[in-house]
Amino acid sequence: MNEDLKKTLLNPIFKGNPITVLVLGICSSLAVTVQLKGACVMALSVIIVTGLSSLIVSLLRNSIPNRVRIIVQLVVVAMMVILVDQVLRAYAYSIDKQLSVYIGLIITNCIVMGRIEAFALGNKPIPSLLDGLANGAGYGLILIIVAFFRELLGSGTLFGFRVLPESYVPNNLVILPPMALIILGCIVWVQRSIQKDLQEK
Amino acid sequence: MNTNSNVYTIVYTTIIVVIAAAILAIAAMALKPKQDANIKAETISQMLAASGLTDMNALSKMGNDQILAKYSENVKAAFLIDAAGNKTGELETAVDDIELQDNLKVENKNIASGDPSLPVYVFEKDGAEINVIPCYGAGLWGPIWGYIAFNADCTEIVGAYFDHASETPGLGAKIKDEAWFREQFVGKTVNFANADQLFRIVKGGAPKDDKSAVDAITGATMTCNGLDAALNTWFKAYMPFLQKKAGAAGIDEAGCCGEGCCGEGCGGDHEHCNGEHNHQHNHQEG
Repeated sequence: MNEDLKKTLLNPIFKGNPITVLVLGICSSLAVTVQLKGACVMALSVIIVTGLSSLIVSLLRNSIPNRVRIIVQLVVVAMMVILVDQVLRAYAYSIDKQLSVYIGLIITNCIVMGRIEAFALGNKPIPSLLDGLANGAGYGLILIIVAFFRELLGSGTLFGFRVLPESYVPNNLVILPPMALIILGCIVWVQRSIQKDLQEK
Repeated sequence: MNTNSNVYTIVYTTIIVVIAAAILAIAAMALKPKQDANIKAETISQMLAASGLTDMNALSKMGNDQILAKYSENVKAAFLIDAAGNKTGELETAVDDIELQDNLKVENKNIASGDPSLPVYVFEKDGAEINVIPCYGAGLWGPIWGYIAFNADCTEIVGAYFDHASETPGLGAKIKDEAWFREQFVGKTVNFANADQLFRIVKGGAPKDDKSAVDAITGATMTCNGLDAALNTWFKAYMPFLQKKAGAAGIDEAGCCGEGCCGEGCGGDHEHCNGEHNHQHNHQEG
């Protein structure tokens, strides 16, 4: 049992990463990775939403009428997303203003619905919670890696603090969304060369 | 229990939705005061940024309390005026109880219906008065608004700050993001002589000698048109007040209808003035 839980927790971080392996949640990972700060808040928000909605759906799983299960899931996910948005608006207003659109779009983030359908509906609450948290974390990890490179090369700063010398000319291409896709591609490349079983024949 | 029966499905979804709605309503109510405080501090930051007392960079590092304190220290008076430019009420400026007239959407409607209650915030910077007034209008995707700072006699703009709800990043959003855009307003003036076009945001570049026009932003025509309309609407609403200020400072000693009018010989007689200026004259007498 413990082995299973450990696997549930660790698998989505690397081996079954939702972005690089399942290729879910690409759109928001392109949009919010210009700065590390925004990426961290987004990562945290997604972790909370995936974790808690998986937990709630798992608690309800035996009572949900099969015909309306997607609608019930959506209600749960949408509620969590609005709660996160409201809390951010109250306690991290400036970040909420930057992320607001994308926070709202967590509702349609395929990772959330994907994990609920694939895991939470058929598993007990605790493993579901862990699965949700871990998938959120796997998503967040990629987000932070991409944001690290984009902020470093695009602005010469990290978390808003200057790390590269003033003489460094910021690379404007890195700020633009296509560069996020290229960095993402590089991460997938690195992962596939380490994990040979992912390579297609 | 048959979880697939119609009755069960309907009852179940109803209960779920009601519970979710209740949770959200409670959260919204509990967080509202905190959210309102954030919005208030943001509004005040924009005024302070427009007045030139401090810049947005410094303000974004301050907490809400510091921003409110900064406002309270520097504001000399805050009051409401009516359509004729007469003072109708005071706004509290003490730090614990700052009052703002910040529902610009409502006032925008009131301007159209002719009965607005417009705010004027008077700051003091280096011994000189700065009058800050808001503007509000429609951008391309949502509302845009801003604060314009005038010098003591309201003859010259000394600063401006704009914000938007949802303009396109990199295009319309530049009204907020690009410092050069708002810096253009410094040193400009409202063209009282032409009541239909008090201020212009010109596509393709403003004429260099035009004191009441600035360059528009490339690729953001709709946003700039919206801002142009917003500025004209609000400047027009504030015109009696602005002209009174200018008049009181001795610019308009003849008591006539403003710059470009019929000069000293006018003596307050309407017929001598150009027709289009008559209404300005009436305001000044009132």
